[in-house]
Amino acid sequence: MRPEDVVSFVVARPLIVERPRVVVPLLPGDRVATAVGAIVAPGDLLAERVRDPHLVDAVSDERGVPPRPGAWVPATPRRRRTSPAGELLFEHEGRRRIVAGPHPDLVAAPAAGAVVEIHPGVEIVLQLEGIGIPGSALLGDPGHGRLALLPGDADGRTLLDVAHAGNVVVFPGRVDAEALTRARAMGIAGAIVPAFSDRDRRDVVASDARQRAGLHRLAPFPVLVLDGYLRRALAGPVHDLFAALAGVDVGLVGGSSPMCVAGVSADVVPSPQPDRVRVRGGREAGHEGRFVGLAGPRRVAGGIAIETVRLVLDDGRTVVLPLGDLERFA
Amino acid sequence: MIGGAGAIRPPITVGFGPGGRDRTFVAMDQGTATCAATLVGRVEGAWRLLAATALPAGGDPGIVSALLVDRVQHADPELAAQVGLDRRTGQPPRLESASGPAPVAVILAATEATRLALETEAAAAGWLTLGASAEASDPLVATRLATGAEVTALVVGTLDPAASGEREFAGELVALAAAVVERRPNLVVVLAGAAAGREAAFVPEARIIGVPRPRDEGGDDLRSGLAALRAGPTDTRRGLVAAAGTLAGLLGLRVELLEIGMGGALRVRAAPDAAGGPARVGSAEAPAAALGLVSDDASLDRLDGWATAPVDRARLRDRLAEIRLAPWADLEGEGAILRAAALRVATQRLVEATDAELGGPAPDLLVLAGGAWSAIPAPAALHVVADAVRRPGVLQIALDAARLLGPLGTVRDPEERSRLTRDLLRDGLVPLGTLVVPRGVRGGRAAGHLRLLAGDEPVEMDLAGGTLSLVDLPPGREGVAELSFRSAADLGVRGRRFALATTGGLAGLVVDLRDVPLRLPDRSDERRELLARWERALWPEHDA
Repeated sequence: MRPEDVVSFVVARPLIVERPRVVVPLLPGDRVATAVGAIVAPGDLLAERVRDPHLVDAVSDERGVPPRPGAWVPATPRRRRTSPAGELLFEHEGRRRIVAGPHPDLVAAPAAGAVVEIHPGVEIVLQLEGIGIPGSALLGDPGHGRLALLPGDADGRTLLDVAHAGNVVVFPGRVDAEALTRARAMGIAGAIVPAFSDRDRRDVVASDARQRAGLHRLAPFPVLVLDGYLRRALAGPVHDLFAALAGVDVGLVGGSSPMCVAGVSADVVPSPQPDRVRVRGGREAGHEGRFVGLAGPRRVAGGIAIETVRLVLDDGRTVVLPLGDLERFA
Repeated sequence: MIGGAGAIRPPITVGFGPGGRDRTFVAMDQGTATCAATLVGRVEGAWRLLAATALPAGGDPGIVSALLVDRVQHADPELAAQVGLDRRTGQPPRLESASGPAPVAVILAATEATRLALETEAAAAGWLTLGASAEASDPLVATRLATGAEVTALVVGTLDPAASGEREFAGELVALAAAVVERRPNLVVVLAGAAAGREAAFVPEARIIGVPRPRDEGGDDLRSGLAALRAGPTDTRRGLVAAAGTLAGLLGLRVELLEIGMGGALRVRAAPDAAGGPARVGSAEAPAAALGLVSDDASLDRLDGWATAPVDRARLRDRLAEIRLAPWADLEGEGAILRAAALRVATQRLVEATDAELGGPAPDLLVLAGGAWSAIPAPAALHVVADAVRRPGVLQIALDAARLLGPLGTVRDPEERSRLTRDLLRDGLVPLGTLVVPRGVRGGRAAGHLRLLAGDEPVEMDLAGGTLSLVDLPPGREGVAELSFRSAADLGVRGRRFALATTGGLAGLVVDLRDVPLRLPDRSDERRELLARWERALWPEHDA
């Protein structure tokens, strides 16, 4: 078999996505502040986020064309009391159900692009220029800032500095919820982490919810998780990419394809070598190296027989590992 | 489905018969986590398994086929030539089935009782469900659920007949659903019971399916409709249902099949027809029983209760989440032990979710299918069944190790499917052994005696309550086990003396004298130690 066929058995993940189409999730009651076809720049207002939404019953207005579900219904003076403004949830048998509530939080465009679809209460779809670096999850609302890659693989708390205020910082190694809370308090605009435990994720989400319970408008603090839940360092090709993007304005977006987007050409992205692989799990997790070839089915620790591969790690060792423990960037 | 030259074709029913021209094919089960591929060749007039592998999902099927062909050519060039394997002349045709993550449906009903009933039907059809009722949720909550990014279908309505008071809510539910579809135009809407016939409330371009009688037995019921919406003819779980029926007919045995994967789970019961007709087959899916799916703290508690590795809850949650993210990774050592614990939970959930419909006495043969069973050693799989399905009786257990049954089940012609299955039974189904589970044996004391007649010398063994007694009985061997208990035990029938036909397997004969249901120590350290001791008995490499 050809070498490129053999290496194709290793699970591939894209290092970048060109001209990404990203989704900004909305909830029923959020007020859309843009239109399809609008050209947006980073920070442009897309929507106002409803806080503590509640349902209001109103009598249907028989005049004119009835609004569609998701439409914004202005406040209507009535004899007894004024119906508040809000988003029409649905209308049935002469009664309107309207989602109302204060809208103190703003959802801003994470990067330059065009609004291509709007589904009120569901999502705004943006077609962006440049590239996207896929992750596995985004905690919080989208945000943007200048990218700063923190050095080393040490405890994130020791690396943070007020000079990073307004930046989206990349933690190359271990990080916990406490470090991110501190980062937010320092005015950092967002964070990119290689991995984040479930407990820390829940802490960050809960902290965000607590802060939103306040009356003041809150800047978003998105956290993009690149891999999974267990501690690991940034993959080499991803580290190289962030190093190349240091100082560039980037945005963090969520939805079904969470990613870090940057308005740069794909030409600036260093291409990963095709036989370069990373050990994602198992006893050598975190190491990287060069794929040599299949080593056939073998019985591994624990007693099961699985496909294995031979690779040369960066520290010079030649090892045989389960095929499923590897990944490569393409 | 049978393809040619590496391509996928619509289902056909010729080519594998005695007069067919194909001498090899690749059966491929494209799962959520892994792709299992088996090269099958016609050797001396019968279909035989030549090579098999399982690789992370998402690979090029053509390259996977080429790998198997290469291996056979290197290992046995004569055999390769005999069956006409030659990469230069193209790849063998493929018989493919596929399964993916369960899609999500939101159930909107008037009452909680109806919501639960509709959710049960949707789950049995292979859908993960979220639900809201007019009785317990406000319309904002229902809309939030229904507009979620992962949702692909809305089921709105009542059962048939609608309960009193439900009809008056039907109009409002339909109005809410119609508003949701305006926000999410790609949703499919199923209008059930009293809501059927209200298509006019929706925008004209909406995709609506009406099910006036959700529990109609004529095949137009809600479950059939949702199953057809979820999966096509090459769906692995559909194939497994057909394959279980074929097995029951071929072997003349009552067959139960438990399939567990990363994307869902399936239970099938099939019994041969005494009059020689097609086997009677019943099936239900349980997507919430997918391996490692932890939806709440109770699920985690349950898994923690089976864990034999000393992992704290936070770490356990993270490791399970990692399994869901990269299910093909971390299969070695502790990863396999964690999967065994998750498999016990999944099996329990599958049995609980389907027992009302498919429960009953132990079948003659239990077949384990799906990728999750291949992530632990075969004898350990028998132990997982013994732990998770506490049902008195005598059971032969086999493993569909190469995951052949799903692709074979997609062969549309029953006779062709039966011929293929008959030929491939001995290669494809790995016998694990015979499991005997008596109920009513007191723990901690002498329980009786076992005499196994299989071969030249009988094997004698005293039985102790609360233990697993193992007797080596290799695959292919058959025997008679004479069991005599000190006091009456329940093996489907109550008695003190039993003579049981037994068949061998990788785990041999296992007499499970533990409590039914299983009682475990409350203290986690004692429980782990006990579970690990039992686990090691059938998993020698447990601590490797």
